[in-house]
Amino acid sequence: MLSVEGLSVRIGTGRGQARILDEVTLSVPRGGTLGVVGESGCGKSTLLRAILGILPRGTQVPAGAILFEGRDILADRAASARGRIGFIPQDPYLSLNPVFTAGAQILEAMRHHAPGTRRDHKAKLAELFRAVQLPDPEAALDKYPHEFSGGQRQRLLIAAALACDPALVVADEPTTALDVTTQREILALLRQLTAARGLSLLFVTHDFGVLAAVCERVAVLYAGRVAETGLTRAVLDDPRHPYTRMLLGCHPDRAVDLTGIPGTVPAATAQPAGCRFHPRCPLVQPGCAREVPPMLPLAEGHAVACPFHALPLPEPALA
Amino acid sequence: MPEILGAAGLTVELGARRRLFGTRPGVRAVDGVDLSVAAGETFGIVGESGCGKTTLARTLLGLQREASGEIRLGGLVVSGQDSATARRQRAAVQYVHQDPGAALDPWWQVGAALAEGLAIHGVTDRAEQRIRIAEMLVAVGLDPALANRYPHELSGGQQRRIGLARILLLRPKVVILDEPTAGLDLSVQAAVLRLLRELRDRFGLTYLFISHDLSVVRRVCDRVAVMYLGRVVEQGRAETLFAAPQHPYTRALLAAAPRLDGAAAGPSLPGDPPSLRAIPAGCRFHPRCAQADAGCARLEPALVETSPGHLTACHHARRAA
Repeated sequence: MLSVEGLSVRIGTGRGQARILDEVTLSVPRGGTLGVVGESGCGKSTLLRAILGILPRGTQVPAGAILFEGRDILADRAASARGRIGFIPQDPYLSLNPVFTAGAQILEAMRHHAPGTRRDHKAKLAELFRAVQLPDPEAALDKYPHEFSGGQRQRLLIAAALACDPALVVADEPTTALDVTTQREILALLRQLTAARGLSLLFVTHDFGVLAAVCERVAVLYAGRVAETGLTRAVLDDPRHPYTRMLLGCHPDRAVDLTGIPGTVPAATAQPAGCRFHPRCPLVQPGCAREVPPMLPLAEGHAVACPFHALPLPEPALA
Repeated sequence: MPEILGAAGLTVELGARRRLFGTRPGVRAVDGVDLSVAAGETFGIVGESGCGKTTLARTLLGLQREASGEIRLGGLVVSGQDSATARRQRAAVQYVHQDPGAALDPWWQVGAALAEGLAIHGVTDRAEQRIRIAEMLVAVGLDPALANRYPHELSGGQQRRIGLARILLLRPKVVILDEPTAGLDLSVQAAVLRLLRELRDRFGLTYLFISHDLSVVRRVCDRVAVMYLGRVVEQGRAETLFAAPQHPYTRALLAAAPRLDGAAAGPSLPGDPPSLRAIPAGCRFHPRCAQADAGCARLEPALVETSPGHLTACHHARRAA
């Protein structure tokens, strides 16, 4: 369905070139869900923007392709996937225009991207509002964003993402702004809708718990590169990359002793040579600073970008 | 351990306006809260947005005036004053902001922001200020040279540490931490939590830990109070409360928290919390509660001891066996 192949993204800054993404390869199968996890600055948002075709001006893409339904949507703007990729933004409070009714702003997008008349669009939107379980779906069309609660606004945005019959939905931390009880309902709704409509889902998050609840597969990003990828259960139960292991070891549900990871994520303008994680890695070897580790396949599509994945971590950093 | 900070029947009204004719009633953001925080413990307050966590914190601090009830600090009753007096009297209680980046003046170097607090509290000698600031920056795990940086040059984790350093300079006894880990990455969060524990032991602090992240609260808090619509619905030792929650709301809240093993526990909680302007009669949780019966809609349950050291406000509290 969607396959990102060797994607690199650079942005020129006053302090030199920022290497935001470096040879990122991942794919979302038809009807599948892929979670992308990583800490701030790892390139999650840039990846989303590249897929949505909204990279900021001045961005260079020196290598790579994004194949969507068989066509490279990076190279060929005419093959643009507009309408076929739905987007669910992070903040339901900031993503709706307060001076237009919910119906008006979603119908506007449908006018550009969906076939049919306005009457068809309205009927379809009311149907979608029912599918996302908004109370009183017909009346909701004529309500303003402030008349909805946070959870309802996120439902509204999910309906908007589905309005033009997308094949793929891209979600950017859609529940970070919500309370846990609301989050749970929204995640259940997303699961149910993607399954019922056979949608593919690319889900960006930094929360491993949310990841476990929604995604079959996961790609862990560190400093613009994929560190580890595989089935969510496999990665969470048996993380292999030292970064994934240490990061999961920071999770309050799992941590033996809260330690954190020494050092900080490198700035995009000053990425270390070789393995990006080597300055912070307890398993570091001399070769790590020289060579970029290739993705090593393990079982069942589980792959890890670390040749020392089988070594145990030293005691205090144990996951 | 003796109590250091306590409240009895604390009620706070927000937004009441006096009009030309009569008054417009406010909302009760905090409605009859009893609390007792022992010296040296980490006391967690959890609940969803709008449940009154932050209002409670502001009132304990003295920034918000209580409508009724009593606040005790170190054994003395400190409530009933206007907010300026209240704040002065409660200098031993300090507050760390939810968003430390927003709490720092972007035009001021970090050192100047730290010195201002000291100056207000009577340390005016520049050399003395510099020494204390450098010491404190080291204590929170930062390079003293950071005093010459501006807030935007700091990472989120560094800003949290500055926020901590700023109030620890004032030598508080009780520190109110409002969502101390919101918006932090997992690895930074772990480091901040560890630092909090070290600082508590080193400076003999008591924490009031406000958070909606249940995993974190379970990890760091000794005791926990769960709030719903301005009331405490359950309170007890963290391990008992998380292992065997007795109030249906606590159970729903715990079940909703995403878990690493991906298991979903129990039914989800329907609907949003009602508005503070339309608090349901009887038990305020009854419209969303699966166990509610006719009695729940009539009679508001009191917070009573359901097992030793564990308080629950529910007619159908699931008592520990």
